[in-house]
This record gives sequence, C-alpha cells and structure tokens, in this order.
Amino acid sequence: MSSIIEMPELVLERIIGFSNFKDVLTLRQVCRDFRNFIDDLKDSKLPYSKFKQIEIVSKKDENKIVFAFVDFDGTCFRIEYSESANSRKYQRKTTVFENSNIVDVAIRDLQLVLKFQKSQLERLYFDVDDFQLLPGLLLHNFPVKLSNMFKMLNRRIKTETFTTETYNQSQIMRLLPFVDPDARRKLILLAKDDDMKLEIDEIVKTEQWKKSQEIHCDFHVLNVNVEDIFHFSRITLTMNTIPARDLDILRKVFILSSKFEHAFFELTHFHENEEISNLWGTPFNTGSSSNWYFRIKDLEEEVLHIEFRGQFINFHLIDLRHVLTGAIIQDYNEN
Amino acid sequence: MSSTEQGTSSAAPAEPTTAPESAAAPEVPESFYYVHGKDKVVHKVSAGALQHSALIHGMISNLGYTEEQAKANPFPFENIDGDILQMVVDWCNQHKGKPTPPEDTNLPKQKEKLFDLVLAVNYLEIKELLTYCCKQVAMMVKGKSPEEIREIWMIPTDAEDEAAEKEAKKRAGKEAAGETAAAAGDAK
Repeated sequence: MSSIIEMPELVLERIIGFSNFKDVLTLRQVCRDFRNFIDDLKDSKLPYSKFKQIEIVSKKDENKIVFAFVDFDGTCFRIEYSESANSRKYQRKTTVFENSNIVDVAIRDLQLVLKFQKSQLERLYFDVDDFQLLPGLLLHNFPVKLSNMFKMLNRRIKTETFTTETYNQSQIMRLLPFVDPDARRKLILLAKDDDMKLEIDEIVKTEQWKKSQEIHCDFHVLNVNVEDIFHFSRITLTMNTIPARDLDILRKVFILSSKFEHAFFELTHFHENEEISNLWGTPFNTGSSSNWYFRIKDLEEEVLHIEFRGQFINFHLIDLRHVLTGAIIQDYNEN
Repeated sequence: MSSTEQGTSSAAPAEPTTAPESAAAPEVPESFYYVHGKDKVVHKVSAGALQHSALIHGMISNLGYTEEQAKANPFPFENIDGDILQMVVDWCNQHKGKPTPPEDTNLPKQKEKLFDLVLAVNYLEIKELLTYCCKQVAMMVKGKSPEEIREIWMIPTDAEDEAAEKEAKKRAGKEAAGETAAAAGDAK
C-alpha cells in the first residue's frame, strides 16, 4: 500500500489546494514532513483563511495575549497565551510549553495564520501595550516582536478599518506601516488614558493616513495642519483649539467637496468667537448652540451645518428641511 | 471491484460504453490498445477512453499501430497494481468522450486503494481523475485532529519517527562496522 507521505509534491499541493486553511494547519501538526512541506509552500498555493476581523490584545490583569479571529459567518476562534502558565489555550485544548518563550509561540502562530489571510479584513484591532511599564515580564516585548514579525511577513495586511488602542504614540507608527494603504478606509486611534497627547507629524506623512477616508482619534492631537485633514470625508478629532482662520478654510473645503460627510472636533478651549462672527456673520443661537448654514456647490437638497456647542464644533451635511426655522442659509460663494 | 460495479450502475446515462462513440461517428472504426499492470492481465481499451491519460495519449499518437501491432505490444505498467489499473480503465471507459462531472463519488473509499490510485493516476497523467482523487483525500482530512489523521493514515509521530530513524542508523552502523570504510560511506 502507498502512504500519503510518498505522494509527489504536485499531488500534495493539489490536496492542500482543496483543503480549507484550518485543515492545512492541522496537517502541519501531523508530522514534520507535512510541516516542512507546508511551510515551504508559496503563499499563493495555500487556501485563504478569509477572516472578517482579527483582534490582537494583551491583558495585564490576566497576564495573557489573546488573539481573536472572526469569520464572516460570525464564528470566533479565540487563542489565549498565558505567561504565568506558559501555555496556549485554544477551544478546549491547553498546551503547556516547557522550554519555549510563550510570546514567541504566540508570534509564530499569528505569523502562520496571517500566511493564509490574503483577502481583505473588515477590521484589524491592536491593543498590545498593556505591559509597557512592566519590563520584567515576557509580555513586555510583545509589541516589538509583533512589529518585527510584520516586517518579516513582507506583505501588508489588507483591512478596511485599522484600530489601535494604546498608551504610547510610538505604538501607532510601529504597526500602522504594515497595513495596506490601498485597502484602508478608516483609521481609528484610541487613547487608553484620558488627556493623552499625540504628535501627528510623522503619522500624517504615511500613505496610510493620506489614503484613509475616515479618521477617528481620541488623543489630544497636537500640531495639526488643516491641510492634512482635507482629504477625509469623516473626521472625529480631539484638539486643544483650532484658529478661526483654519475653521474657515475647512468650511471652504467642505462646501466644495463631493465626498465630505462630517467633521467633529472636541476642543479644550476656543476664544475666537469674534473672529468667527466676522468671517461667517452672526450665528443663529438656540441657547445651547450657535449655528451657521452654508449652501454647497452643486447641491440643492443639502446644506453644510456648522454648530458650536460648548467645547464641540460640528460640521455636517443636513437636509434643507432640517435647517432651524428663522436661520439664514448663506449662498454658495467660492470665496 | 465493488466500487467499479457500483460506478457503472449509477453513472447517469446507463448505456454500453461504446454506444455514444458509434452513434456519433459510425463510419470510422474505433482503434483499440492494450495495457497491463503488475499482474500482466491485459485490458483492451479504446483510443477514445485512453485520451484521458495524457501519458498514454502521447504514446499512441506517435505510434500509428495497426490492430495486430497494438495487440502484440500491450503497454506495460509494471508499477501499477492490477486492480488499480482496472479501476483506471473502468473510469476511462465510463468517461469516454463525455464532459466529466464536477464530483465523482465512485472513488475507492479505502485509503490504501485511494493512495495507490492517486499515484497511478498521477503517473498516467489523468487530469480530471487526479482532481477527484485529491478532493477525496482533502475530504478525509476535513475537520479531523492531527491525532486522528495520524491514525487513519498510519503516520508515526515525530518522536516515533526519530526513534525509528535512530534505530535504523544504529543498525546501519553495525552493518557498516563489518564492512570497509568506503561501504560505510555508501550506506549513509
């Protein structure tokens, strides 16, 4: 009788081509012949994993790394790596690693799974610097090792949304370059503490920033040039302040743009109400908010509504019918 | 054998295998060739059926044998077991001149036979049948654990494999000890 091991390489390649990626991962574990064969196989010969979402999280309270891979049908595959037990838990199976560094095990597993992920994700989520102040723990090195692994992967990850939740602004630049700028539409940068500051000079230079359509950032963003946010159709930013002149530049860009949807700014302070009134005229006041309305180029049914409410400034498109009664709609004027 | 009998009975148009060919082109007499496997049992197969095998097709298209010459010179496939060659011939006959269906459910269910069949089909370059066989093997893996796969396919674990290798080396070493240094080098 013949054994599967004796099959010619082309036949094994065909068999792997007809298997799904989970079965290929299983075959890898059967014996080293399979493992070597699969690891040497070009990415293009492997089946796709087609995940919808990948979450990569480290958890200080449990001293763990957790990966969650979510299928388009909603099935979630969760793998946990515990530093204290030096073990991996997947479904009901726990594997204890006697001599391996658990962070390396996790990184290797992730690298392996990413080999199969060639289609576009809806969401890629990182929350990996929980251990940044704990240099004594293995998991402290996780972000750096993760970044190195992506470098080695030599292929950018396609994802619609890139989210990172972090204490540390350097973390963003450690991971952002590894997502495919052409696939990305939404960039979400979340601060793990309130009042964290973010210098965005470096980030705005990336292709990933320039090609995104949406930015959501709850860091206090420092040194923003309005030119760097013109291209977004949706903006949510927290900042110290915005000069009246810049707000007017944004207004002009938005009434001209066919892509603009909304821009939402949370400011620490704003003292240029007088300048704004000089530029935009007297606002329509409701008691809790000041409002201006501007006609948009080539649009009849919608207008740009700018609302100042406390420390929030909100630009958005609204239906003409929702303009507050008594308010003036300023005509479209390029200047 | 049971699998091939099943095959003929469940094949959708249950006609004799030569019927479609003669109906389509009655004036051209069909040419036949002869093949045999390890068991030397000779099978007479039409050129139409043999078209499935790129290897045999390549061989016969250059020969231009007469009926007598073909009969006198059966193709020997010493590396293929008789029962496996029978399966291949049956499949070629069943699928002669027909577009092949997307699935073939008549493949052997026994893994030993399946692997032998894969090897034979790969050697004979029968593209569609190889696809079915590879799919069938992939189905055997589906949803199983590494342990289950090892058991089904009788694959030793890496530890067992290493132990066996060590044992083999030791034995080779012992044998080599009695021989010359040059022979020992060859044994490795």
